[in-house]
Amino acid sequence: MVTKEDIEHVAKLMRIDIDNADEHFERIQKIMNYFDILDKADIESEEIPVQEVTIGELREDKYIPFESKLITNLKNYKGTFVRAPKMN
Amino acid sequence: MSLAISALEYISNVKNGTTTAEEFIAKTLDRISKHESKVHAFISINENALEQARAIDKKIKSKEKVGAFYGMPISIKDNISVKDGKTTCASKMLQEYVSPYDATVVTKLKSQDAILIGKANLDEFAMGIATEFSAFGPSKNPWNTDYVPGGSSGGSAASVSALECVASLGSDTGGSVRNPASFCSVVGLKPTYGLVSRYGLVSYANSIEQIGPIARRVEDVALLLNHISGRDANDNTTIDGKNQDYLGEIGSGIQDKKIGVIKEMSRGAGLDKNVESAFWRAVDSFEKLGAKIEEMSLDMVEFTVATYYVLTTAEAGSNLSRYDNIRYGYQMDLEGYEFKSYISKARKNFGPEVTRRMILGGFVPSAGFAGKYLLKALKVKSKLKRQVLEAFKKFDFLISPTVPILPFRFGEKVDDPLAMYMADINTVTANLTGVPAISVPFEIHNGLPIGIQIHANTLQEKQLLQAAYALQGTTSLPGAPL
Amino acid sequence: MIGLEIHCQLTNLQSKLFCSCKANYREFEPNTNLCPVCMGLPGSLPRLNQKAVEKASMIAMALNCKTPQRLGFFRKNYFYPDLPKNFQITQLNMYGPTSIGDQGKVSIEGKDIRIRRIQLEEDPGRLIYEGASERTQITLVDYNRAGTPLVEIVTEPDFDNPRQVRIFLNILSDLLENLGVSDPTLEGAMRADANVSIEGGLRVEVKNIGSFHDLEKAIHFELTRQQSLAERGIPVAQETRHWDDKRKITISSRSKEEDEDYRYILEGDIPWVVLDSKSIEKWRGSMPESISSKKERYITKYNIPVQVADVLSSDKYYSDLFEQAHTESNAKEIANMITTDLMGLVDTREKREQSKLSPKHLSDLIEIINNGKVTRSSAKNALQEIVKTGKSVSEIVSQTGLAKISDEGELGKIITEIMSQEPTAVQQARENPQTINYLVGKVMQKTKGTADPTLTLKILKEKIST
Ligand SMILES: [Zn+2]
Repeated sequence: MVTKEDIEHVAKLMRIDIDNADEHFERIQKIMNYFDILDKADIESEEIPVQEVTIGELREDKYIPFESKLITNLKNYKGTFVRAPKMN
Repeated sequence: MSLAISALEYISNVKNGTTTAEEFIAKTLDRISKHESKVHAFISINENALEQARAIDKKIKSKEKVGAFYGMPISIKDNISVKDGKTTCASKMLQEYVSPYDATVVTKLKSQDAILIGKANLDEFAMGIATEFSAFGPSKNPWNTDYVPGGSSGGSAASVSALECVASLGSDTGGSVRNPASFCSVVGLKPTYGLVSRYGLVSYANSIEQIGPIARRVEDVALLLNHISGRDANDNTTIDGKNQDYLGEIGSGIQDKKIGVIKEMSRGAGLDKNVESAFWRAVDSFEKLGAKIEEMSLDMVEFTVATYYVLTTAEAGSNLSRYDNIRYGYQMDLEGYEFKSYISKARKNFGPEVTRRMILGGFVPSAGFAGKYLLKALKVKSKLKRQVLEAFKKFDFLISPTVPILPFRFGEKVDDPLAMYMADINTVTANLTGVPAISVPFEIHNGLPIGIQIHANTLQEKQLLQAAYALQGTTSLPGAPL
Repeated sequence: MIGLEIHCQLTNLQSKLFCSCKANYREFEPNTNLCPVCMGLPGSLPRLNQKAVEKASMIAMALNCKTPQRLGFFRKNYFYPDLPKNFQITQLNMYGPTSIGDQGKVSIEGKDIRIRRIQLEEDPGRLIYEGASERTQITLVDYNRAGTPLVEIVTEPDFDNPRQVRIFLNILSDLLENLGVSDPTLEGAMRADANVSIEGGLRVEVKNIGSFHDLEKAIHFELTRQQSLAERGIPVAQETRHWDDKRKITISSRSKEEDEDYRYILEGDIPWVVLDSKSIEKWRGSMPESISSKKERYITKYNIPVQVADVLSSDKYYSDLFEQAHTESNAKEIANMITTDLMGLVDTREKREQSKLSPKHLSDLIEIINNGKVTRSSAKNALQEIVKTGKSVSEIVSQTGLAKISDEGELGKIITEIMSQEPTAVQQARENPQTINYLVGKVMQKTKGTADPTLTLKILKEKIST
């Protein structure tokens, strides 16, 4: 069972401030309760489904510079450094 | 000259001089400026469209080599990157983001002289079935503007339905091309996973989504698929579709083909009675076309909506992590924040549905929950795929209503996310299994469209389009009464 | 007990792990070695570097790891400004063995260090902190490094002490260089974190260690700290500690508000790579001979002394020179010349880069020594000149008069001169024949080593006894 504290904790982990935890709580709990339907599925013996490629299909190791200077598309920069908030 | 023509008609008209690209684009832009206030299909319009049309006309006149689309206007869902233009994903988080590169499908369309007339509206980051979650306001259904156009490619479908372009590219993660195609009475295809490059498509749930064409006619969808499909070195998940011509032999018919009716999608409590009766009339049409019909069961379908939302929220939680507003995004000062508080505040700009899915996406793969949710969802996906591939040993096609409900009014489902999610039950199977599926307009009930969904086996798009074309031939539907 | 997590960049690749930007980011201005992929721009997709898979697999094989049938990638999700996507594409064995290697081992001094897992992953960008105080501090980010191919080697906690750690890292560093996958001398090319615990205690992870020199210190500090806690009956907490470079101590990282939960998920954008046995065998076949096998061969085949073979085999620069210069007959002499005469001349990266020496120089030098044209000590002088100028051996011999003085008359004159300058030494040599070497040295000095030593001794003896 998911609690309101769980929701707030996960929102924090996902780095999103939420003001309406109650509303989210009610809806998310309902959805997660619905997810419990998966407990009924007879799937124990199933493998994890993945796509495959051969080694030959991978990218050749070659240096090709990108056509334009990306830095001009970035915001918050100082010199050619990207500016980020202080760490703590 | 009418705007209500097919892509094939447009191309032949320009070729034989009945119209010019400039004339058609001018008229299209005129239509857009007249109807956008009602439909709101676009987030941005290509300012250079007329100029580009003139350049193409010039090429035609001087007998230069001209690309296959001859200046045809195509709208592009705004989660597909177009160089030097905004790609917002209908999110405030990306309201100022300008892509420095073209998506592979965009490169391909440009090289074939299509004119990208504008970027189409969608649910924020393609999460929704109504475009109600666009940060820039919803698109309206051209059949009745009180009703939703479907989603998440609602702007794409509405723009095609409202004659604001000839065709569109949407993206389909759980039905996002087929659902609005059904709601707006246009054709929408979700190709086999890997047939069309996703490079440049902003990821929502990357392991199952595909870019898909939307048009008013099945043959137009085939034409678009001819030009956007193919392996791409920029997308390791693309597969070899053998460069088929999907348009050639499209009229081959479906005589003696075996069609399975998916019981779990075509009967039962969640299915609207009007949709159900329309669907069974479609079954009759298929029978009259010479197909052999049989009801069949895919018992894993019961688990597909839960599976879909577990997988997609887990992937979305990861895919959307990069939107921290540090390298690109919108203006918000760094001062007074440390990293954690800054991005938590910045990410408050996600809308309610995205936020909800981020939180779900935080739960399902977390250490305490992964075994309960994510692992099981992956296993359901695996078993469902086996069931579907097994079914295709017996059947050529599997059919169902595209959406179990009719288009609904704005606000009707917005407060009940789970009820909204349940409307995906018929479309998510194609995404979870990777097989192609198409929605074909079939009836209009009380002014609201109903579409029929056809699935085919992996990479059987050519056959799928033949079946869709055959069904289209049994109908004679009016255009949107805008 | 000590375990290591070592990060090694594959510096010898041309491009990054998932895009075509340059793997060697060191030559760029900040944020100029970027593309939509390594910047994690919306819509970009990773494209796995074939060569990176090959090279990482060779590392795994060289460390005696098992190779998986399929290579799988996962996303490690956490928010940090040096991560453009706020997740790192890495590997683990969540759904069966899909990491580039696991269950390997390396033997040091008769003890097996087990390798738990080797994973191929992307390096993050680099953060630079600027500003005088905490309040005014800002973070600057350079993403040039983001996406650089990285191999992480995780060992079991099998080390008993910091010394074993040092030996292991030296072996690893030599091995990477020998494989030609990495230049461990490049700044930041090899980094390590340590897990340290004492008998009955919990595991402490020590991060942020700048150099291998500090790693030893950090481990030593941590062991001492934990032991002293234990002696006072205080339990050691399981935690992450950071190495304080200035104070040379470990400090507890601030207690985390939330548990670390990386929400690992499959990286669907990279299909699992089937490692077919044909490719694996091809790679195995193309791997250079291992250091231990080289050493063994040098000793048994050429009768090279153990210490010389050790030095020669563990340094790729020396062993490559040796391999190209030697023949069946001159191997031992080439080996000696490299490990005694050459070593001091090319002992740094810069000197090696500037050196003009070719393997042919070495074999030519040995040849003219053997056929009596120059003395060994002349050859050493010539070597110095060759490293600097790259001139051919014959050119140097003819230009600089290094040819051996073996003319009895000429040498006799020089010896007479020296004997007249050193009457005391001559007297001593008469009384104690062993001190004659002093006079031989003087002759060599005077002739810049070109005098034939055998002849010099013969003439000296004759002249002294008369
Ligand atoms: Zn790059």
